[in-house]
Amino acid sequence: MVQSRPLTAKQRSPGGGARKANPPMLGLLLAAAVKIGVINSVTGPEAPIGENMSHGYEMAVEDLKAKGIDVQLLTEDDAGKPQTAMGGLEKLATRDGVAGIVGPYTSASSNAAARLAERSKIPLLIPAASKDEITRQKYKWVFRTSAVVSWYAQVLFDAAARFGDPQRVSASGAPPAAKPKSVFIVHENTDFGTSAARGATEIAKQMKLEVLGTEAYSAGSPDFRPTLSKVKAANPDLVLLVSYVADAILLMRQSRELGLKPMAFLGGGAGFTTSQFASEKAISESVLSSTQWTEDVSWPGAGAWGGRYKKKFGKTATYHAACAYESLLIMGEVAAKAGGDREKIRAALHEGKWNGILGEVKFADFDGFNNQNKHQMLVVQIRNGEFVTVFPEEFAKAKVVWPFPGFK
Amino acid sequence: MIRLLQAVLGGLLTGGVYALIGAGLSLIFGVLRVINFAQGELVMLGMYLAWLLFTFLHLDPFLSLVVVMPVLWMLGWVLEAVLLDRMHGALPQNQILLTMGLGLVLSNGAMLAFTSDYRLVSTTYSSSSFMLAGVALSQPLAVSFLLTATIATALWFFLARTDTGMAIRATAQDRDAAQLMGIDVRRVSRLAFGIGAALAGAAGALVAPTYYIFPQVGGSFTLKAFVVVVLGGLGSVVGAMLGGLIIGITESLSATYISTELKDVCVYSLFLIVLLAKPGGLLGKAE
Repeated sequence: MVQSRPLTAKQRSPGGGARKANPPMLGLLLAAAVKIGVINSVTGPEAPIGENMSHGYEMAVEDLKAKGIDVQLLTEDDAGKPQTAMGGLEKLATRDGVAGIVGPYTSASSNAAARLAERSKIPLLIPAASKDEITRQKYKWVFRTSAVVSWYAQVLFDAAARFGDPQRVSASGAPPAAKPKSVFIVHENTDFGTSAARGATEIAKQMKLEVLGTEAYSAGSPDFRPTLSKVKAANPDLVLLVSYVADAILLMRQSRELGLKPMAFLGGGAGFTTSQFASEKAISESVLSSTQWTEDVSWPGAGAWGGRYKKKFGKTATYHAACAYESLLIMGEVAAKAGGDREKIRAALHEGKWNGILGEVKFADFDGFNNQNKHQMLVVQIRNGEFVTVFPEEFAKAKVVWPFPGFK
Repeated sequence: MIRLLQAVLGGLLTGGVYALIGAGLSLIFGVLRVINFAQGELVMLGMYLAWLLFTFLHLDPFLSLVVVMPVLWMLGWVLEAVLLDRMHGALPQNQILLTMGLGLVLSNGAMLAFTSDYRLVSTTYSSSSFMLAGVALSQPLAVSFLLTATIATALWFFLARTDTGMAIRATAQDRDAAQLMGIDVRRVSRLAFGIGAALAGAAGALVAPTYYIFPQVGGSFTLKAFVVVVLGGLGSVVGAMLGGLIIGITESLSATYISTELKDVCVYSLFLIVLLAKPGGLLGKAE
């Protein structure tokens, strides 16, 4: 299953035969292609998201080349499995001798790979895995671009509190509802889902939201009706659902069947931010979801990049693709500048600051996190099959529909 | 009370699909003495077929049964004639490897053909329900349960009342004796595998409107079908039907009254208890 394949052919450097001298000042110009490893879920159940990330990586290689940085990408497939990810990292770090590694995708894989990267002293930049603990273990060699999963709930609850504020008038003209007072959490029993639910429970407590229940389910189960009838019986103001792609659709379909009507359905990222979910208009209308990135956000180049992506791959860019793109861009730049020296790359990642399609990126130490980018989460609402940014208000393009008007 | 009814009815409707997959697996095992580890992949093919017909010809997934079942039946016939027939009497582990390999080829072939994207059959009734004494019943599940019951009755009638059905049962009871009585057991094997595949395909088409489709979806169905069949008694078609319904209801009840996370624990605990009390399964004969 594990395979590596160079994405770009090694190009002859402009300096031709002068390559072997390689004085540090001309390093950027004359260096051979800098080798960077990527671990991704190319196959396995997360393959659809892995594909988005591969697209992001592909565009990053293009843009690095445009900047004169020649990157040789070596990709390892982990099929979403931690042990395979560890094998891939080992191979990239030792046999392939890459300067740094970007990936893996899933939280489970990333958590395993992070421990090994720390031991092998190789810079690992995790683009989109969101389990909190990954960057809370005092690792020096592990960096993360995306926001952690507990912030998903934070931004959603913040948004709900703001939207439920009686001072505010909603777009539908309906009278503003009372502040939401209770929440029911349904999550997938994976690293990502459990971590999100734990974070959400703590934040709910701080915000004086009563948690009426927490239910974990295993992915791929065809019948969520018993779980959802429990939710219905508890009658919470907010329903927080944390799921990967396809279960999000099943959960919402069966919520419609059972006639759930909370103040709001909150989707914790992942499955709720895919265009496939949005296109299921009967069930996706007015659902709120947290996301790391949208095309209509005002970060530098985001809109143009999203347009390019759509033209190239025929699909709308997801936050996974954006995080993958930005992460490889950073790793490529830093690695080329450091001439492939791992220690220098680590130092440069720790000290550097970037501003691109993900807004400002800085790997900082705070609140028990190490080398964690304080990424600004956004809240989007699905309107007629499209994602509209509605929170925080400085990035919002439209007013929110609140409360949830019920299924059509 | 409404919660209990909701749980039991919901479980019954979901269990119908398990029953159909299990019945096919059990029939194949009865006649061929081979556990078909590719049964879930046949379900997956049924789902993709229903999806293709729905997407390109706008054929309702329930109506697509009339196409899906014959196509899968033919596929099953060919698979038996080309692959399994040669393995008759071979070591059990070789037969297991063959069907597992077949499953891998089918799921990876589907990935090449359809990519790993999730496909949905979004009908107008995919998330509709009707209320029955305060219980919300999923429309597509209720229809699929009725169709499952029809198929099951037809299968029972075929096996119990027709000559060919009796030949199948005779072969399942004792292959050598059946052959001595002039039954073409190789033809019967093909027929049984074909029917088993058609049942799997039917299950695929029936869940298509409420579930999602991707190349690896078969694995979980194979596992569930195996549990259903062993619970009901290997080789017993009625046992597999019963097993499917029991598993469906157990899942639903335990998710409602214990916890969603522990539902598999409950199902497998029940499975173990039944096997401890009746090692041959509910309707199987202990050998």
